[in-house]
Amino acid sequence: MTASGIGSSHAPATGHESSATGARWATALARRGGSDFWRGLDELLETPEFRATLRREFPEDATLPDDAWSRRSFVKLLGASVALAGLGACINVPSEDMLPFVDQPPEVTPGVSRYYATSMVVGGYATGLLAESHAGRPTKLEGNPLHPASLGAAGVYEQASVLQLYDPDRLLSVRKDGKRARWAQLERQLLSSIAGRTDRGAGLVMLLEPTSSPSIAAQLARLRTLLPAVRVYFHDPLAPTGALEGARRAFGTPLVARYDFSTADVLVFLDADLLSTGPFHLRHARQVADRRRVLQPSDGMSRLYVAEAEPSPTGTIADERLRARARDVPRLLAALLGELDSAGSASGLTERERTWVAAAARDLRNSAGRSVVAVGERQPWMSHVLAHAINERLGNVGQTVDYARSAILEAGTSSHEIGELHASLQSQPADTILVFGGNPVYTSPADVALQADISAVRDSAYLGPYLNETASACHWAAPQAHYLESWGDSCAYDGTLSLTQPLVQPLWGGRTTSQLLATILGDSPDGRALLRDQWRTALASDAEWERALQIGVVENSATAPTSVTMARDALAAALAMVHELDARNGMEIVFRQDASVRDGSFSNNAWLQELPDPLSKLTWGNGAIISPATGARLKVETGDVLRLAYRDRTLDLPAVVLPGHADGSVSVHLGYGRTGAERVARGVGGNVYNLWTTAAQYTDDGLSLTAVAGAHVKLAITQDHWAMEGRPAALGATLDEYRADPDFARPRGRELSLYQPYAYDSGDQWAMVVDLSTCIGCSACVVACQAENNIPVVGKDAVLRHREMHWLRVDRYFGGDVADPTVAMQPMLCQHCEKAPCEYVCPVNATVHSPDGLNEMVYNRCVGTRFCSNNCPYKVRRFNWFNYNAELDETERLAKNPDVTVRDRGVMEKCTFCVQRIRRAQQQAMVDGRGVEPGEVVTACQQSCPTNAISFGSLTNPDDTLVRRLAARRRYAALEELGTQPRVTYLARITNPASSDAGPKA
Amino acid sequence: MTTLPLGQQTLGQSGTAVRSGAAHVSSARDHDGLATVLELPLIEPDFSDHVVSPPWVQSRNWWILLVVSGAVALVFLSLVGYSVVAGIGVWGSQIPVAWAFPIVSFVWWIGIGHAGTFISAFLILLNQRWRGSINRLAEAMTLFALVNAGIFPLLHLGRQWYAFWLIPYPATTDVWPQFKSTLPWDVAAISTYFTISVLFWYLGLIPDLATARDRSPGLLRRRVYGLFALGWRGTARQWRHHRAAYIMLAGLATPLVISVHSTVSLDFAIAQLPGWHSTIFPPYFVVGAIYSGLAMVIVLTLPVRRWLRLEQVITDRHLDGLAKLMLVTGLMLLYSYAIEQFIAWYSADQFERYQYLTARLSGPYAPVFWAMTIGNLLSPQLFWSARMRRSKPALIIVSLIVLVSMWAERFVIIVASLNRGFLPSSWKLFIPTWVDWGILGGSFGLFLFLFLLFLRFVPTVAMSEVRRLAYDMETEGDAAGSSARARTATGASHALPAPAGPDAYGPARGEA
Repeated sequence: MTASGIGSSHAPATGHESSATGARWATALARRGGSDFWRGLDELLETPEFRATLRREFPEDATLPDDAWSRRSFVKLLGASVALAGLGACINVPSEDMLPFVDQPPEVTPGVSRYYATSMVVGGYATGLLAESHAGRPTKLEGNPLHPASLGAAGVYEQASVLQLYDPDRLLSVRKDGKRARWAQLERQLLSSIAGRTDRGAGLVMLLEPTSSPSIAAQLARLRTLLPAVRVYFHDPLAPTGALEGARRAFGTPLVARYDFSTADVLVFLDADLLSTGPFHLRHARQVADRRRVLQPSDGMSRLYVAEAEPSPTGTIADERLRARARDVPRLLAALLGELDSAGSASGLTERERTWVAAAARDLRNSAGRSVVAVGERQPWMSHVLAHAINERLGNVGQTVDYARSAILEAGTSSHEIGELHASLQSQPADTILVFGGNPVYTSPADVALQADISAVRDSAYLGPYLNETASACHWAAPQAHYLESWGDSCAYDGTLSLTQPLVQPLWGGRTTSQLLATILGDSPDGRALLRDQWRTALASDAEWERALQIGVVENSATAPTSVTMARDALAAALAMVHELDARNGMEIVFRQDASVRDGSFSNNAWLQELPDPLSKLTWGNGAIISPATGARLKVETGDVLRLAYRDRTLDLPAVVLPGHADGSVSVHLGYGRTGAERVARGVGGNVYNLWTTAAQYTDDGLSLTAVAGAHVKLAITQDHWAMEGRPAALGATLDEYRADPDFARPRGRELSLYQPYAYDSGDQWAMVVDLSTCIGCSACVVACQAENNIPVVGKDAVLRHREMHWLRVDRYFGGDVADPTVAMQPMLCQHCEKAPCEYVCPVNATVHSPDGLNEMVYNRCVGTRFCSNNCPYKVRRFNWFNYNAELDETERLAKNPDVTVRDRGVMEKCTFCVQRIRRAQQQAMVDGRGVEPGEVVTACQQSCPTNAISFGSLTNPDDTLVRRLAARRRYAALEELGTQPRVTYLARITNPASSDAGPKA
Repeated sequence: MTTLPLGQQTLGQSGTAVRSGAAHVSSARDHDGLATVLELPLIEPDFSDHVVSPPWVQSRNWWILLVVSGAVALVFLSLVGYSVVAGIGVWGSQIPVAWAFPIVSFVWWIGIGHAGTFISAFLILLNQRWRGSINRLAEAMTLFALVNAGIFPLLHLGRQWYAFWLIPYPATTDVWPQFKSTLPWDVAAISTYFTISVLFWYLGLIPDLATARDRSPGLLRRRVYGLFALGWRGTARQWRHHRAAYIMLAGLATPLVISVHSTVSLDFAIAQLPGWHSTIFPPYFVVGAIYSGLAMVIVLTLPVRRWLRLEQVITDRHLDGLAKLMLVTGLMLLYSYAIEQFIAWYSADQFERYQYLTARLSGPYAPVFWAMTIGNLLSPQLFWSARMRRSKPALIIVSLIVLVSMWAERFVIIVASLNRGFLPSSWKLFIPTWVDWGILGGSFGLFLFLFLLFLRFVPTVAMSEVRRLAYDMETEGDAAGSSARARTATGASHALPAPAGPDAYGPARGEA
């Protein structure tokens, strides 16, 4: 514009215009000084048009409208904003310590998790574990394949223990009389109370958990040399007192029976849930399952006889299960012994009992040396004496069972009896009591007033995980280090030395029992140094030491078996006791370990609180478990409140009517009704310890049971319906039937589908096979899945609304007679259908198929119509009704697996086949320039399964196990006739009842 | 019978046309019973004024009802807000019953929303001209029911703020809705139906809005009505276009009546859940929808007719017709129920048999099933009796029973089926929360609130249609030499054709 204006200005100046015009230019130019510039001819001439334009553009005396931005103020503000933004950056200097990449530990690669061997102690015995660490943060525990107690599996306690590391309710600091204190103060206090002592320790009482730690044993021995009169006690409410007493009477010393089921064809378990509770249960489960994997009809299998009152996971896979009260066990054993001796002492048995005993005796006799009789650890001593006698008679000793010194310090002595401690404190008062771990104030019997005993002592200190009942009874409470924060040693059930190494520094400055003992002894409380010193002789070289740490165990360190001879009078005494017991009558009460919270040690663990009981499927609480006949007699149903009156004490508990429970017996689970400061545990269920006495630590009769009229408690039970209603869900047959019709599990009809088959690519095709024959329903897989996949806990109210979030659940069905049913367990997870009903109903493509056969859930795309769940025949999809992760504590967030998304409110979620593990393996394979190896991908559930019931892999490149299982004739898909074509298939459950022609041969 | 004679007659551009129309009416008389559709002597000259601003809507009773229903509507909106803010976990829905009250209410409300369009569009195409008295009410009811029905599917999403992902639009992510699912089709069907219903209702309303404009006392009212009347002057040209558009929309709306609930029924039928997976669902749902919609029309019409003094316009003959329709649709429903149960048995499929023959008859929701069966199938049988068809208490009670039973039917279909799926391990009882009940109850508040406003501000009777009807009846009287002539002599009937002056709403005569 300007350019053209200038251009045109030359034209008139060259004289084409009239002279008048030329004069105007001259005048106009003359009016201006030489230094004046003009931008156009209009301005030079000051035409009226130009003036009008000028006024429009720049009105005289004009101000801007009030709300308008002037360019000037805009620029001012812009400048100020930039300046202020800079200032803001000056103020907010991050105060955290940053970790520069250059100083990164060489073994840590961000995003790649590492595994460290460690071990966890439950009931004094170690289970070897591998802890997964993400940049120094443990998130998941898996079994250590080299450890005899694990064999690569991990139970529910082990799986869930990682949550306790991050529990915000942990004891966060040393406390004195409820106020924060320092470790130094406690150390001073301890040293003064020990060092200045002139009574040789008579006034000092120590209460520990039963321990197999050589370090602690050595420290206690040293302490005893310094203070010979010190009183040391051990307390575990679930201690195997009956077993040790039985061994003491039979063999003269309290030995423990160690079973080897790997060669046993006939197993007779009486009140012994050896496959899911107690030491070595993971090993037991593996060994028993290994003899029961009938793949083809020609395969043989062992035969398992179980007699028990409360149905247990072991009982669910029994071939012949007998409902028997805990009190009937000695009688049954005596009958069995009589039957084996052909003495026929089977008087007073019911018809059903007689058949069971006769069948068991027949099979035992036929499989002498390849059979075993096992009795629950907490059964009274005569049961054990009788079992030892039977095993000896059958020649099983040295074959399937051997005996060895217990790895537990002072096992079987009076120092393990809490009643003794109480009596000792009464007769000889103490001035100082030190409690190491456990929660003895809560777990002591009702007739032992431990709280009062501790209060009566001048100085009391507690080293424990929580601000629990014991912590509030003591003056001092100090945080105990979690095992993932600890250095330590312990023994497995067979004596194998196991090492515990920490994955993190103690989060809250906790210390171990061993460290505190070191303080008392005046040593440095350096956990690693203490441990190294302890093992300086046994593991002399650093190479040995490091290898032991690396694999978590000291190889071949199991205790050698002790050769035994049975004391003859023991058997006679036991038989006499059996007759005496027979005379008693009335309702019996059995105090049992809870599958979720054990004795209360795990009651602040929300994963475990929400873990359904294997049989009753009860979460968040306990109840009085009774048989349907007992329930009918009392006219109560599940949830109706029962009043249990026993030895002048009463307790109200909701009834849990459980098919298969023995009549005339009530099972109650320990570990509930907590009153400590733990937020999860407090107020959940009823405290059974209130009925528990030193006289009857396991079972007793004389219980009176009455219904409390009108009282009902809502129990959070995750499976209401017992029966399978004849539907093809969890199929099963006897071995004979399998041989007669190997295809019994196959669907009868043809699968029809309107949809085209999915076009899979040529790579790996993932699939899973679950063997129902060996699934005992222990639920380790459920917790493993929860830990691996960041599955939220929803709480009791939400479980009551059926909103539990477990991606993997174990369905339990009862079949046959409601009083004495067969039980089928079926792990139910996303079946990854090839023709998935969920996929075609999702309106937004949020659940789709992957080329490698996964049914994938795209959380970000999900709008939450829940149509997919409605159309899922297996009902394995879980919906985030609320944001279940919103209220997590800072530390609880640390337990989340960084490889897995944490889901927001309003989206659906479900099993992914642990896609993060698949992808990790694929990435590694790609880096190495190879394909994914068979067996390289292990899902969390598969990894944890003690019986190896779950196998997983690629159909195009399967490992041997998967190949064999895929070929099994009894393989089928749940609800196969719906045409969903699941990638998860099941092996129908095979049992080998006594009537079977197949016989007990594996 | 085609639409053509009605169109000709409506246009009424010449005396011939009028006569032919009249001849047609008389031929239709036998089955229309036109003579009793309006009570001609009772229609006063100020009929238009009466319809435009009936005295009742300014009464205290109207205000009380408005405030109460408004308060309930507020509860509804707050609970909707609560569900969005807190998460839909505040409802009782769970796994396996992931759909419950909101979807039950959605299907129920959308069923209610069928009667209006059915009465308007279906019956206009079938030349059932008696519909003219009640179609406005029925259509308004449809709209407000659809407003409710539209809220529920949005509300029931876990993440309501992403509801637009169900709409096919070219997103930057390149992800489209999944067209195999019925839910995007649901969105399309409902929004189309709502749009057509609004247009149809509004189009029919234009001449009456012009009447309201011309007869309103205040300037503001006149302006507002004038705005919505879109400059209607009642010229022959306008009438011609109006009628053409109206018939065309009726033609569009009619298949929608069928398709909307068919699509909704496919939300269930494409699933393989026993109790949902059924080929009879589309017709079965449509019949049920019309059935419940008619019941709602009766429930609303009876009090409105009384309070607004519309007895001359909405006569017992209308009620009789509605009751007959209910009886017919009720019998069709009976057939559907019977076939459903029979096929379940005949299929010999264990899951189907269990669902229909065990779970529904004796399962945890059996009381709801029996309430539904008895309420829906037995109660309309009363309408075999002509006396009952005209008895107001009987009409109201049966209609209320049917409304409740139809809600129960959707509950049984949705909740009882989900409650008993394939795996017995997942048979879990659904128990609604107070929020569920609150939202259900609150939706009635919103519905009533909107309906009361409608009564107050919109002509409740299609005046132009009624006038034409009255004219038809009069000319029919001329032709037949009936007593209608005598009425003309009294002058009372002048009000109906209203041929003179600016009041050009008697469609045919003014131009003739």
